[in-house]
Amino acid sequence: MLVSLTNVSKSYRLGRVGVRALDAVDLDVARGDFLALAGPSGSGKTTLLNLIGCIDKPSGGRIVLDGVDVTAVPLHRLAATRRDTLGYIFQTFNLIPVLTAYENVEYPLLLQNVGRRERDARVRRWLDQVGIAAQAQQRPDQLSGGQRQRVAIARAMVAEPKLILADEPTANLDSDTAAHILDLLAKLNAETGTTFVFATHDPAVMSRAQRLVRLHDGRISENAHALVA
Amino acid sequence: MTARIAFRNVFRNRRRSAITLLVIVFGAVGLILFGGYKQQTFRGLRESTIRSRLGHLQIYKRGFASNEAKKPLEYGLDDVAALRRAVESDKRVKMTAAQITLMGLVSNGDKSETFIATAVEPLKEKQMNGYRLVGGTDLPANEPDAVLVGRGLATSMHVKAGDYLTLMTTTTAGSLNATDVRVAGIFMSGIKEFDDRAVKMPIAGAQQLLQTKKVERLIVMLNDTDDTAAVRADLARTQPQIEMKSWSELASFYHQVVMLYNGIFGFLGLIVSAIVVFSVANTILMSIFERTREIGTLMAMGTTRARIARMFLAEGVVIGVLGAIAGVVGGALLASLINRGHVMLPPPPGYTVGYPLRMLLTPSILLTAAFISIVTATISSIVPALKASRMNVVDALGHI
Amino acid sequence: MKKLLLAIAFLASAPLRAEDAAAILAKVDAYRTPLESFAIDVELTAYTPHNQAESSKFRVYGKGSDRSVVEFLAPAAEKGKLLLMLRDAMWFYMPTASRPIRISPLQRLMGQASNGDVARTSFTVDYVAKSVVEEEKAFVLDLAAKDADIAYSRVQLWIDKTTYAPLRADFYVVSGKLIKRALYRELGTMAGRRVVTSIEIDDLLRPGNRTVMKYANLTPRENADRMFNKDALGKW
Repeated sequence: MLVSLTNVSKSYRLGRVGVRALDAVDLDVARGDFLALAGPSGSGKTTLLNLIGCIDKPSGGRIVLDGVDVTAVPLHRLAATRRDTLGYIFQTFNLIPVLTAYENVEYPLLLQNVGRRERDARVRRWLDQVGIAAQAQQRPDQLSGGQRQRVAIARAMVAEPKLILADEPTANLDSDTAAHILDLLAKLNAETGTTFVFATHDPAVMSRAQRLVRLHDGRISENAHALVA
Repeated sequence: MTARIAFRNVFRNRRRSAITLLVIVFGAVGLILFGGYKQQTFRGLRESTIRSRLGHLQIYKRGFASNEAKKPLEYGLDDVAALRRAVESDKRVKMTAAQITLMGLVSNGDKSETFIATAVEPLKEKQMNGYRLVGGTDLPANEPDAVLVGRGLATSMHVKAGDYLTLMTTTTAGSLNATDVRVAGIFMSGIKEFDDRAVKMPIAGAQQLLQTKKVERLIVMLNDTDDTAAVRADLARTQPQIEMKSWSELASFYHQVVMLYNGIFGFLGLIVSAIVVFSVANTILMSIFERTREIGTLMAMGTTRARIARMFLAEGVVIGVLGAIAGVVGGALLASLINRGHVMLPPPPGYTVGYPLRMLLTPSILLTAAFISIVTATISSIVPALKASRMNVVDALGHI
Repeated sequence: MKKLLLAIAFLASAPLRAEDAAAILAKVDAYRTPLESFAIDVELTAYTPHNQAESSKFRVYGKGSDRSVVEFLAPAAEKGKLLLMLRDAMWFYMPTASRPIRISPLQRLMGQASNGDVARTSFTVDYVAKSVVEEEKAFVLDLAAKDADIAYSRVQLWIDKTTYAPLRADFYVVSGKLIKRALYRELGTMAGRRVVTSIEIDDLLRPGNRTVMKYANLTPRENADRMFNKDALGKW
């Protein structure tokens, strides 16, 4: 198992009101999974994604990532884990505006202190893989939505993480572009064996998922495997 | 990469950065101009104090300062001619002037008052030009019995140029002596209390009155003020019978002015620093606010808190350095324009002509302005940078 | 004819021998400070060209030629003050002060202290006669100060030919300028001797200014040495 969540719950305060975002969630994610967390807004899918992605702390329960119990570790100490093991793709792309496409993709490798030559090789390879090589020197504001997401994908993949978390990756794209992006992600999952966990309410994404976990009001309502063989 | 991101972010919002930079530049330019004005004032005051009054060095007989003379010139310099030859043989020395200070009674036939006389060499005194003649003529070169009288004393003695007075004092041996003197001219030193008692007389006349060949001190004028310490050291070695005072030990007014202006400069520096701090902190805070989601993203990717903080700190440093460069260049240019422009200031009290506004730029002034700009900009980004580094990732990512 | 008379008069004057000069000076001084240790009353009145100042009264205690203590008696404002006059120093004491104040040689030039110096000049001790000229009624002695620190470097002294009483003294400074003139106006008998009882001192730098000092009640008195010590002022 790559990720194991046991009896995980998350509550937080919204003003004076306490909100229970997740309640007693058990979930296992295996290596190579192409998993979608599905549900309406408020269902807790983004919260669950954040917990798995080590950018949020559970209020209760246990989370084990790649053999390491990360439940009690303070978030800022998990920076290295995030750097080496995880990758992120966001609905709003979240590229660094002042950096070129090349430099955006290069960033995680700089965090890992990779040498210049190897960095250059890997960045070019991934820009190529996502089909964005020609736009390498352009800044995000010069790219279309689809192109930006490709850069984001290259950025997420360049450090060869074990697990990539994608929060609504196609929500800001038109349907054609969204389809292309999904194809790309599926291809990467198949070719590299990188695990993907999506948070989505888009049926198109759900239909491409190899596993589907439905959430409702902070609980798992359905945990189905391999809809598509 | 941190520097690259910081640098590019400074240029991302041109207008905001420009305003902040302008604040720093204005501050730096202000410091530079005032600093230059202050240095010029110091130099002017120093040179005029030295050249018109104190000289660079004052030579006394060893023991003069520490012993109390019971009779006039008990600790006076003897063998003055040999001493002068020795001193003037140094190429750095421009001239020497012998002086005696003496006190006594001056009488106009009706009443007596005390006087304080500075006995000088007339031609050298005229070169030094530390006083203003308001009546009559200067001390003639070869008339030992001609004197200049301070304005207040002239008034209380009811004399004008051409009148006669009698000076009375005790000789170096201790007996009385008196001589009639002709008032050649009337002068003002600028200090009323001094002019109420002051007499300037030729040193030959004083020596006659005191019955001595000694002088009280030898004033040494150099070509270059920076040679003072070296010349003093050389004389201390070669002339063991003397003791000396440098102009700096005697120029108390100069030192007071220096302290005052430096205090004002320091105060100005504080104000500039405060303004820069507020401006830069504000700019950085706005930058952080705008890039909250970006920060969240970077943290999600595994960027440490320290690195985030460094990124914003670097932004502050970049602003500071850019501001420092622009400020120093701008300040130097503006100062040299002003110097060339020959702007005339109104005459100071006691003078009839004004003098040109000039700034003397020294490396230390430029460095101070640059340093203040960079340091304050850096310091002001510390707290915002720390704030940014402690952001909650999830909240940051959810930020608009 | 006149010229001939003058020439004869000139020939008649001749320098006296040194012993004669010293003996004469001693006789002159006897008219002024006849006693070794004494007390005397002094009344001093200063006149300016425009008005007459108030008279002051003192009692002077003297020992030898160069030590005296002046006790101020009148006017009332000055009463109780003391002046110690020594050869090299002068000290002023006020009852309200805890310590006496030293008067510098320069300050001695001012005011009546200088007249006091003139009045008590000892010709025998401080001066040596350079020459004597004989006039009709007086000897004129040209005195030079023995030491460089004597106040007046030269004195011209007129004395009565028969009695050797002092008549007039002109005081000169080093430059040759005539500063003061003492006129020995009256003689009287005190303590069994003939002494000068009135001196007029003219300030020649300020013509019209003169001081008159009248002496009375000269009495012999044993003045202890410690009386003439500045620390003793006000304590006796």
